[in-house]
Amino acid sequence: MAEYRNSDETHERSTSAQGMSRRQLMRHAGWFGGAVVLTVASGEVISHMAGSRSATAGTAAGAAPASGTLRFVQISDSHIGFQGPANTDVTGSFAEAINQVNSLGFRPDFVMHSGDLTHLSTAGQFDQVRQMMTSLRTDRVFTVPGEHDSIGDAGRAYRRMFAGGTLGDGWYSFDTHGVHFIALVNTLSLEKLGHLGNDQIEFVRRDLSGLSSDTPVVVFSHIPLFAMYPRWGWSTDDALKVIALLRRFASVTCLNGHVHQLFTKAEGNITFHSATTTAYPLPEPGRAPAPTPQVVPARQLKDALGIRTVGYHQGDRELAVIDRRLA
Amino acid sequence: MNTRRILICTLRWATSATLAVSGYIHAQLWGEEYRSLPVIGLLFLFQASVSLAFAVLLLIGTPPLAVRVGAAGVAAGALVGFVASRTVGLFGFTEHGLQPAPQALLSLLAETATLLLLAVWQATLIAHQRAAGPPARTHEWRPPATRTPSS
Repeated sequence: MAEYRNSDETHERSTSAQGMSRRQLMRHAGWFGGAVVLTVASGEVISHMAGSRSATAGTAAGAAPASGTLRFVQISDSHIGFQGPANTDVTGSFAEAINQVNSLGFRPDFVMHSGDLTHLSTAGQFDQVRQMMTSLRTDRVFTVPGEHDSIGDAGRAYRRMFAGGTLGDGWYSFDTHGVHFIALVNTLSLEKLGHLGNDQIEFVRRDLSGLSSDTPVVVFSHIPLFAMYPRWGWSTDDALKVIALLRRFASVTCLNGHVHQLFTKAEGNITFHSATTTAYPLPEPGRAPAPTPQVVPARQLKDALGIRTVGYHQGDRELAVIDRRLA
Repeated sequence: MNTRRILICTLRWATSATLAVSGYIHAQLWGEEYRSLPVIGLLFLFQASVSLAFAVLLLIGTPPLAVRVGAAGVAAGALVGFVASRTVGLFGFTEHGLQPAPQALLSLLAETATLLLLAVWQATLIAHQRAAGPPARTHEWRPPATRTPSS
Protein backbone atom coordinates (compact mmCIF):
# COMPACT_ATOMS: atom_id res chain seq x y z
CA MET A 1 0.00 0.00 0.00
CA ALA A 2 2.97 2.27 0.72
CA GLU A 3 3.91 2.05 -2.92
CA TYR A 4 0.48 3.31 -3.93
CA ARG A 5 0.47 6.01 -1.29
CA ASN A 6 3.65 7.37 -2.70
CA SER A 7 2.19 7.71 -6.14
CA ASP A 8 -1.44 8.38 -5.33
CA GLU A 9 -1.94 11.39 -7.54
CA THR A 10 0.07 9.92 -10.37
CA HIS A 11 -2.15 6.89 -10.37
CA GLU A 12 -5.33 8.98 -10.45
CA ARG A 13 -3.92 10.98 -13.27
CA SER A 14 -2.85 7.98 -15.25
CA THR A 15 -6.23 6.38 -14.59
CA SER A 16 -8.00 9.25 -16.24
CA ALA A 17 -5.49 9.41 -19.02
CA GLN A 18 -5.27 5.75 -19.94
CA GLY A 19 -8.13 3.94 -18.18
CA MET A 20 -7.80 1.68 -15.14
CA SER A 21 -4.94 -0.77 -15.00
CA ARG A 22 -5.40 -4.22 -13.46
CA ARG A 23 -3.40 -3.13 -10.45
CA GLN A 24 -5.57 -0.08 -9.94
CA LEU A 25 -8.72 -2.13 -10.38
CA MET A 26 -7.52 -4.48 -7.63
CA ARG A 27 -6.76 -1.51 -5.43
CA HIS A 28 -10.21 0.06 -5.94
CA ALA A 29 -11.87 -3.30 -5.34
CA GLY A 30 -9.90 -3.59 -2.09
CA TRP A 31 -11.03 -0.19 -0.86
CA PHE A 32 -14.62 -0.82 -1.90
CA GLY A 33 -14.66 -4.23 -0.26
CA GLY A 34 -13.12 -2.75 2.86
CA ALA A 35 -15.78 -0.05 2.95
CA VAL A 36 -18.59 -2.60 2.64
CA VAL A 37 -17.14 -4.95 5.26
CA LEU A 38 -16.47 -2.11 7.72
CA THR A 39 -19.95 -0.64 7.16
CA VAL A 40 -21.63 -3.96 7.91
CA ALA A 41 -19.35 -4.51 10.91
CA SER A 42 -20.05 -1.00 12.26
CA GLY A 43 -23.79 -1.53 11.86
CA GLU A 44 -23.56 -4.81 13.75
CA VAL A 45 -21.54 -3.24 16.57
CA ILE A 46 -23.91 -0.26 16.88
CA SER A 47 -26.99 -2.52 16.89
CA HIS A 48 -25.41 -4.83 19.46
CA MET A 49 -24.37 -1.98 21.76
CA ALA A 50 -27.78 -0.28 21.53
CA GLY A 51 -29.51 -3.61 22.13
CA SER A 52 -27.47 -4.42 25.23
CA ARG A 53 -27.98 -0.89 26.57
CA SER A 54 -31.78 -1.20 26.11
CA ALA A 55 -31.74 -4.56 27.85
CA THR A 56 -29.80 -3.11 30.79
CA ALA A 57 -32.14 -0.12 31.03
CA GLY A 58 -35.14 -2.40 30.74
CA THR A 59 -33.94 -4.61 33.56
CA ALA A 60 -33.14 -1.63 35.75
CA ALA A 61 -36.22 0.46 35.16
CA GLY A 62 -38.87 -1.56 33.40
CA ALA A 63 -37.89 -0.23 29.98
CA ALA A 64 -38.25 3.32 31.20
CA PRO A 65 -35.87 5.91 29.81
CA ALA A 66 -32.68 6.61 31.72
CA SER A 67 -33.21 8.76 34.80
CA GLY A 68 -32.69 12.43 34.12
CA THR A 69 -34.24 12.07 30.68
CA LEU A 70 -37.82 13.13 30.18
CA ARG A 71 -39.80 11.87 27.22
CA PHE A 72 -43.42 12.63 26.64
CA VAL A 73 -45.87 12.49 23.77
CA GLN A 74 -48.36 15.06 22.52
CA ILE A 75 -51.39 13.88 20.61
CA SER A 76 -54.08 16.27 19.54
CA ASP A 77 -57.44 16.84 17.91
CA SER A 78 -58.71 13.27 17.74
CA HIS A 79 -62.28 14.55 17.11
CA ILE A 80 -63.84 11.24 18.07
CA GLY A 81 -67.33 11.26 16.58
CA PHE A 82 -66.43 13.28 13.48
CA GLN A 83 -68.16 12.01 10.37
CA GLY A 84 -67.21 13.38 7.00
CA PRO A 85 -65.26 12.70 3.83
CA ALA A 86 -62.09 14.30 5.27
CA ASN A 87 -61.66 11.16 7.38
CA THR A 88 -64.33 8.50 7.42
CA ASP A 89 -62.65 6.65 10.31
CA VAL A 90 -61.28 9.05 12.92
CA THR A 91 -61.57 6.32 15.54
CA GLY A 92 -59.32 4.07 13.46
CA SER A 93 -56.82 6.91 12.96
CA PHE A 94 -56.75 7.59 16.70
CA ALA A 95 -56.25 3.89 17.38
CA GLU A 96 -53.30 3.93 14.95
CA ALA A 97 -51.85 6.94 16.77
CA ILE A 98 -52.15 5.09 20.07
CA ASN A 99 -50.43 2.04 18.54
CA GLN A 100 -47.68 4.30 17.29
CA VAL A 101 -47.18 5.73 20.78
CA ASN A 102 -47.09 2.21 22.19
CA SER A 103 -44.45 1.12 19.69
CA LEU A 104 -42.10 4.08 20.00
CA GLY A 105 -39.38 1.91 21.48
CA PHE A 106 -39.54 3.72 24.82
CA ARG A 107 -42.24 4.25 27.40
CA PRO A 108 -43.12 7.95 27.52
CA ASP A 109 -43.30 9.53 30.97
CA PHE A 110 -46.71 10.88 30.07
CA VAL A 111 -49.00 11.58 27.14
CA MET A 112 -50.72 14.93 26.71
CA HIS A 113 -53.86 15.19 24.58
CA SER A 114 -54.04 18.85 23.68
CA GLY A 115 -57.76 19.13 23.09
CA ASP A 116 -60.67 18.36 20.82
CA LEU A 117 -60.77 14.84 22.17
CA THR A 118 -64.32 14.59 20.87
CA HIS A 119 -66.13 16.25 18.01
CA LEU A 120 -69.48 17.01 19.65
CA SER A 121 -68.92 16.57 23.40
CA THR A 122 -71.44 13.75 23.77
CA ALA A 123 -71.17 11.40 26.71
CA GLY A 124 -70.61 8.48 24.34
CA GLN A 125 -67.75 10.23 22.58
CA PHE A 126 -66.09 11.19 25.87
CA ASP A 127 -66.45 7.61 27.09
CA GLN A 128 -65.01 6.22 23.87
CA VAL A 129 -61.95 8.48 23.84
CA ARG A 130 -61.26 7.77 27.52
CA GLN A 131 -61.53 4.03 26.91
CA MET A 132 -59.14 4.28 23.98
CA MET A 133 -56.60 6.31 25.94
CA THR A 134 -56.47 3.72 28.71
CA SER A 135 -54.54 1.53 26.24
CA LEU A 136 -51.70 4.07 26.06
CA ARG A 137 -48.57 2.55 27.58
CA THR A 138 -47.52 5.43 29.76
CA ASP A 139 -47.52 6.42 33.39
CA ARG A 140 -50.03 9.26 33.06
CA VAL A 141 -52.37 10.79 30.52
CA PHE A 142 -53.07 14.53 30.71
CA THR A 143 -55.57 16.53 28.71
CA VAL A 144 -56.64 20.10 28.03
CA PRO A 145 -60.05 20.78 26.51
CA GLY A 146 -60.69 22.00 22.98
CA GLU A 147 -63.71 24.00 21.91
CA HIS A 148 -65.25 20.78 20.57
CA ASP A 149 -65.13 19.37 24.11
CA SER A 150 -67.39 22.04 25.56
CA ILE A 151 -70.27 22.21 23.12
CA GLY A 152 -73.54 23.06 24.80
CA ASP A 153 -72.47 22.61 28.42
CA ALA A 154 -69.51 24.99 28.90
CA GLY A 155 -67.19 22.02 29.43
CA ARG A 156 -69.01 20.37 32.35
CA ALA A 157 -69.00 16.88 30.78
CA TYR A 158 -65.31 17.22 29.96
CA ARG A 159 -64.44 18.33 33.47
CA ARG A 160 -66.41 15.49 35.06
CA MET A 161 -64.42 12.94 33.09
CA PHE A 162 -60.97 14.48 32.69
CA ALA A 163 -60.48 17.38 35.07
CA GLY A 164 -60.29 15.67 38.44
CA GLY A 165 -57.82 17.41 40.72
CA THR A 166 -57.54 20.51 38.57
CA LEU A 167 -58.22 24.14 39.43
CA GLY A 168 -60.82 26.60 38.11
CA ASP A 169 -62.22 25.45 34.79
CA GLY A 170 -59.68 22.66 34.47
CA TRP A 171 -56.25 24.32 34.48
CA TYR A 172 -53.34 22.86 36.41
CA SER A 173 -49.57 22.59 36.67
CA PHE A 174 -47.06 19.93 37.62
CA ASP A 175 -43.31 19.32 37.75
CA THR A 176 -41.23 16.42 36.55
CA HIS A 177 -37.56 15.93 35.60
CA GLY A 178 -36.82 19.53 36.52
CA VAL A 179 -39.36 20.91 34.03
CA HIS A 180 -42.43 22.91 35.08
CA PHE A 181 -45.58 22.16 33.09
CA ILE A 182 -48.69 24.35 32.91
CA ALA A 183 -51.91 23.21 31.24
CA LEU A 184 -54.22 26.07 30.29
CA VAL A 185 -57.85 26.22 29.21
CA ASN A 186 -58.49 28.85 26.51
CA THR A 187 -61.56 27.40 24.84
CA LEU A 188 -64.40 27.97 27.28
CA SER A 189 -65.26 31.65 26.97
CA LEU A 190 -64.10 32.19 23.45
CA GLU A 191 -65.91 34.57 21.13
CA LYS A 192 -63.74 34.37 18.10
CA LEU A 193 -60.29 34.02 19.62
CA GLY A 194 -59.20 31.84 22.50
CA HIS A 195 -59.53 33.40 25.93
CA LEU A 196 -57.85 32.67 29.26
CA GLY A 197 -59.59 35.06 31.66
CA ASN A 198 -58.29 36.91 34.68
CA ASP A 199 -58.66 33.99 37.11
CA GLN A 200 -56.44 31.79 34.98
CA ILE A 201 -53.88 34.53 34.36
CA GLU A 202 -53.73 35.10 38.12
CA PHE A 203 -53.20 31.35 38.57
CA VAL A 204 -50.27 31.47 36.15
CA ARG A 205 -48.79 34.49 37.93
CA ARG A 206 -48.90 32.74 41.31
CA ASP A 207 -47.78 29.43 39.83
CA LEU A 208 -44.66 30.94 38.27
CA SER A 209 -43.78 33.26 41.13
CA GLY A 210 -41.79 30.68 43.07
CA LEU A 211 -39.82 29.35 40.11
CA SER A 212 -36.26 30.30 39.32
CA SER A 213 -35.72 31.77 35.87
CA ASP A 214 -33.57 28.87 34.71
CA THR A 215 -36.38 26.34 35.15
CA PRO A 216 -37.57 25.08 31.74
CA VAL A 217 -41.29 25.77 31.39
CA VAL A 218 -43.72 23.98 29.08
CA VAL A 219 -47.20 25.42 28.51
CA PHE A 220 -50.01 23.36 26.99
CA SER A 221 -53.13 24.91 25.51
CA HIS A 222 -55.56 23.96 22.78
CA ILE A 223 -55.71 27.24 20.87
CA PRO A 224 -52.33 28.82 20.06
CA LEU A 225 -51.10 31.42 22.55
CA PHE A 226 -49.46 33.28 19.66
CA ALA A 227 -51.21 35.03 16.78
CA MET A 228 -51.00 32.26 14.21
CA TYR A 229 -53.98 33.47 12.17
CA PRO A 230 -56.45 35.60 14.18
CA ARG A 231 -58.89 35.88 11.23
CA TRP A 232 -59.67 32.20 11.76
CA GLY A 233 -59.57 32.46 15.53
CA TRP A 234 -56.11 30.91 15.71
CA SER A 235 -54.91 33.07 18.56
CA THR A 236 -55.74 33.86 22.21
CA ASP A 237 -56.89 37.40 22.91
CA ASP A 238 -55.36 37.79 26.37
CA ALA A 239 -52.33 35.50 25.95
CA LEU A 240 -49.89 38.42 26.02
CA LYS A 241 -50.45 38.74 29.77
CA VAL A 242 -49.24 35.15 30.21
CA ILE A 243 -46.43 35.62 27.70
CA ALA A 244 -45.24 38.61 29.74
CA LEU A 245 -45.07 36.40 32.83
CA LEU A 246 -43.07 33.79 30.91
CA ARG A 247 -40.47 36.13 29.42
CA ARG A 248 -38.10 35.95 32.38
CA PHE A 249 -37.57 32.21 31.93
CA ALA A 250 -34.59 31.01 29.92
CA SER A 251 -36.56 28.34 28.08
CA VAL A 252 -40.31 28.29 27.47
CA THR A 253 -42.00 25.81 25.12
CA CYS A 254 -45.66 26.36 24.27
CA LEU A 255 -47.39 23.33 22.73
CA ASN A 256 -50.86 23.65 21.23
CA GLY A 257 -53.30 21.88 18.95
CA HIS A 258 -56.42 23.29 17.25
CA VAL A 259 -54.87 24.19 13.89
CA HIS A 260 -54.38 20.58 12.69
CA GLN A 261 -50.96 21.32 11.17
CA LEU A 262 -47.37 21.74 12.17
CA PHE A 263 -46.16 25.25 12.76
CA THR A 264 -43.29 26.64 14.80
CA LYS A 265 -42.51 30.16 15.87
CA ALA A 266 -39.86 31.56 18.21
CA GLU A 267 -40.06 34.82 20.14
CA GLY A 268 -36.92 35.28 22.19
CA ASN A 269 -36.73 32.44 24.67
CA ILE A 270 -40.30 31.33 23.96
CA THR A 271 -40.96 28.77 21.25
CA PHE A 272 -44.45 27.92 20.02
CA HIS A 273 -45.17 24.57 18.40
CA SER A 274 -48.55 23.83 16.86
CA ALA A 275 -49.21 20.10 16.58
CA THR A 276 -50.96 18.21 13.85
CA THR A 277 -54.06 16.10 14.36
CA THR A 278 -55.00 12.46 14.34
CA ALA A 279 -58.31 13.21 12.61
CA TYR A 280 -58.31 15.40 9.47
CA PRO A 281 -56.25 18.24 8.01
CA LEU A 282 -57.25 21.89 7.95
CA PRO A 283 -56.08 24.35 5.30
CA GLU A 284 -52.99 26.46 5.77
CA PRO A 285 -53.80 29.96 7.03
CA GLY A 286 -55.50 32.01 4.33
CA ARG A 287 -55.39 29.20 1.75
CA ALA A 288 -59.15 28.66 1.94
CA PRO A 289 -62.20 30.79 2.74
CA ALA A 290 -62.57 29.10 6.14
CA PRO A 291 -60.79 26.51 8.29
CA THR A 292 -62.95 23.60 7.20
CA PRO A 293 -61.88 19.93 7.05
CA GLN A 294 -59.82 19.26 3.95
CA VAL A 295 -60.47 16.23 1.81
CA VAL A 296 -57.18 14.85 0.54
CA PRO A 297 -56.50 11.66 -1.40
CA ALA A 298 -56.64 8.64 0.92
CA ARG A 299 -52.92 7.97 0.52
CA GLN A 300 -52.06 11.50 1.59
CA LEU A 301 -54.26 11.54 4.66
CA LYS A 302 -51.70 9.80 6.87
CA ASP A 303 -49.08 12.30 5.77
CA ALA A 304 -51.17 15.05 7.34
CA LEU A 305 -51.82 13.19 10.59
CA GLY A 306 -49.29 12.40 13.28
CA ILE A 307 -47.99 12.46 16.81
CA ARG A 308 -45.26 14.43 18.54
CA THR A 309 -42.56 13.26 20.93
CA VAL A 310 -40.69 15.68 23.16
CA GLY A 311 -37.43 14.90 24.92
CA TYR A 312 -35.53 16.74 27.61
CA HIS A 313 -32.23 15.89 29.28
CA GLN A 314 -31.83 17.43 32.69
CA GLY A 315 -29.40 20.30 32.50
CA ASP A 316 -30.18 21.08 28.86
CA ARG A 317 -31.61 24.44 28.03
CA GLU A 318 -34.23 23.42 25.49
CA LEU A 319 -36.57 20.56 24.77
CA ALA A 320 -36.23 18.47 21.60
CA VAL A 321 -39.50 18.33 19.67
CA ILE A 322 -39.95 15.60 17.05
CA ASP A 323 -43.06 15.38 14.90
CA ARG A 324 -43.88 12.03 13.35
CA ARG A 325 -46.26 11.24 10.55
CA LEU A 326 -48.87 8.62 11.39
CA ALA A 327 -47.15 5.32 10.63
CA MET B 1 8.52 13.89 4.29
CA ASN B 2 7.81 17.13 2.44
CA THR B 3 5.25 19.75 3.41
CA ARG B 4 2.63 18.48 0.99
CA ARG B 5 2.80 14.96 2.35
CA ILE B 6 2.48 16.24 5.91
CA LEU B 7 -0.54 18.29 4.85
CA ILE B 8 -2.18 15.29 3.15
CA CYS B 9 -1.53 13.13 6.20
CA THR B 10 -3.02 15.78 8.51
CA LEU B 11 -6.09 16.14 6.28
CA ARG B 12 -6.53 12.36 6.24
CA TRP B 13 -6.46 12.09 10.02
CA ALA B 14 -8.63 15.16 10.55
CA THR B 15 -11.24 13.89 8.08
CA SER B 16 -11.21 10.52 9.81
CA ALA B 17 -11.85 12.29 13.13
CA THR B 18 -14.76 14.40 11.86
CA LEU B 19 -16.35 11.36 10.19
CA ALA B 20 -15.95 9.38 13.42
CA VAL B 21 -17.63 12.19 15.42
CA SER B 22 -20.56 12.36 12.99
CA GLY B 23 -20.89 8.57 12.98
CA TYR B 24 -20.75 8.36 16.78
CA ILE B 25 -23.43 11.06 17.20
CA HIS B 26 -25.74 9.35 14.73
CA ALA B 27 -25.13 5.97 16.40
CA GLN B 28 -25.91 7.46 19.81
CA LEU B 29 -29.12 9.12 18.59
CA TRP B 30 -30.15 5.94 16.79
CA GLY B 31 -29.69 3.93 19.98
CA GLU B 32 -31.52 6.43 22.16
CA GLU B 33 -34.65 7.12 20.17
CA TYR B 34 -34.39 7.42 16.43
CA ARG B 35 -34.40 3.71 15.73
CA SER B 36 -38.14 3.75 16.40
CA LEU B 37 -38.68 6.10 13.44
CA PRO B 38 -39.61 4.36 10.19
CA VAL B 39 -37.06 4.97 7.39
CA ILE B 40 -35.32 7.70 9.43
CA GLY B 41 -34.10 5.09 11.90
CA LEU B 42 -32.51 3.05 9.10
CA LEU B 43 -30.97 6.18 7.60
CA PHE B 44 -29.42 7.09 10.97
CA LEU B 45 -27.95 3.60 11.35
CA PHE B 46 -26.67 3.66 7.76
CA GLN B 47 -25.11 7.09 8.21
CA ALA B 48 -23.42 6.02 11.44
CA SER B 49 -22.11 2.74 9.98
CA VAL B 50 -20.78 4.25 6.75
CA SER B 51 -19.21 7.23 8.52
CA LEU B 52 -17.39 4.97 10.98
CA ALA B 53 -16.31 2.67 8.13
CA PHE B 54 -14.84 5.59 6.17
CA ALA B 55 -13.19 6.89 9.34
CA VAL B 56 -11.41 3.55 9.79
CA LEU B 57 -10.46 3.37 6.09
CA LEU B 58 -8.89 6.81 6.27
CA LEU B 59 -6.78 5.66 9.19
CA ILE B 60 -5.51 2.68 7.18
CA GLY B 61 -4.20 4.62 4.23
CA THR B 62 -4.76 7.23 1.57
CA PRO B 63 -7.88 6.19 -0.30
CA PRO B 64 -8.58 6.67 -4.00
CA LEU B 65 -10.82 9.48 -5.19
CA ALA B 66 -13.93 7.28 -5.20
CA VAL B 67 -13.65 6.67 -1.45
CA ARG B 68 -13.14 10.37 -0.74
CA VAL B 69 -16.19 11.17 -2.86
CA GLY B 70 -18.12 8.55 -0.89
CA ALA B 71 -17.07 10.14 2.40
CA ALA B 72 -18.14 13.55 1.10
CA GLY B 73 -21.45 12.03 0.00
CA VAL B 74 -22.16 10.68 3.47
CA ALA B 75 -21.43 14.04 5.09
CA ALA B 76 -23.41 15.96 2.48
CA GLY B 77 -26.32 13.50 2.77
CA ALA B 78 -26.48 14.04 6.51
CA LEU B 79 -26.51 17.82 6.02
CA VAL B 80 -29.25 17.61 3.38
CA GLY B 81 -31.29 15.36 5.69
CA PHE B 82 -30.85 17.84 8.53
CA VAL B 83 -32.08 20.75 6.43
CA ALA B 84 -34.99 18.74 4.99
CA SER B 85 -36.14 17.61 8.43
CA ARG B 86 -36.34 21.25 9.50
CA THR B 87 -38.04 22.57 6.37
CA VAL B 88 -40.13 20.29 4.16
CA GLY B 89 -39.90 17.22 6.40
CA LEU B 90 -38.19 13.92 5.64
CA PHE B 91 -40.33 10.79 5.34
CA GLY B 92 -42.89 12.39 7.65
CA PHE B 93 -40.25 13.34 10.21
CA THR B 94 -39.84 16.93 11.35
CA GLU B 95 -37.54 18.47 13.95
CA HIS B 96 -36.97 22.03 15.03
CA GLY B 97 -33.85 24.16 15.25
CA LEU B 98 -30.63 22.80 16.68
CA GLN B 99 -32.39 20.06 18.61
CA PRO B 100 -31.52 17.62 20.02
CA ALA B 101 -28.81 19.66 21.73
CA PRO B 102 -25.88 19.49 21.61
CA GLN B 103 -25.85 16.59 19.12
CA ALA B 104 -27.48 18.52 16.26
CA LEU B 105 -24.92 21.35 16.37
CA LEU B 106 -21.94 19.02 16.86
CA SER B 107 -23.07 16.85 13.98
CA LEU B 108 -23.51 19.88 11.71
CA LEU B 109 -20.02 21.11 12.58
CA ALA B 110 -18.48 17.67 12.03
CA GLU B 111 -20.13 17.18 8.64
CA THR B 112 -19.30 20.68 7.44
CA ALA B 113 -15.70 20.17 8.57
CA THR B 114 -15.60 16.83 6.69
CA LEU B 115 -16.66 18.51 3.47
CA LEU B 116 -14.20 21.37 3.91
CA LEU B 117 -11.31 19.03 4.70
CA LEU B 118 -12.06 16.84 1.69
CA ALA B 119 -12.32 19.92 -0.52
CA VAL B 120 -8.92 21.19 0.71
CA TRP B 121 -7.49 17.70 0.19
CA GLN B 122 -8.70 17.57 -3.39
CA ALA B 123 -7.54 21.11 -4.09
CA THR B 124 -4.09 20.22 -2.77
CA LEU B 125 -3.88 17.21 -5.08
CA ILE B 126 -5.02 19.20 -8.10
CA ALA B 127 -2.56 21.98 -7.35
CA HIS B 128 0.24 19.45 -7.09
CA GLN B 129 -0.74 17.79 -10.36
CA ARG B 130 -0.75 21.13 -12.14
CA ALA B 131 2.62 22.02 -10.68
CA ALA B 132 4.00 18.66 -11.80
CA GLY B 133 2.74 19.15 -15.36
CA PRO B 134 1.05 16.62 -17.64
CA PRO B 135 1.87 12.95 -17.12
CA ALA B 136 4.81 11.63 -19.04
CA ARG B 137 3.75 9.81 -22.17
CA THR B 138 4.45 6.15 -22.15
CA HIS B 139 5.86 4.62 -25.28
CA GLU B 140 3.41 2.41 -27.00
CA TRP B 141 4.68 -0.99 -27.80
CA ARG B 142 4.37 -1.75 -31.45
CA PRO B 143 4.94 -5.14 -32.95
CA PRO B 144 8.02 -5.21 -35.13
CA ALA B 145 7.17 -4.67 -38.71
CA THR B 146 7.98 -7.61 -40.86
CA ARG B 147 9.05 -7.06 -44.27
CA THR B 148 8.61 -9.49 -46.97
CA PRO B 149 11.65 -9.44 -49.15
CA SER B 150 10.71 -8.44 -52.52
CA SER B 151 11.17 -11.06 -55.00
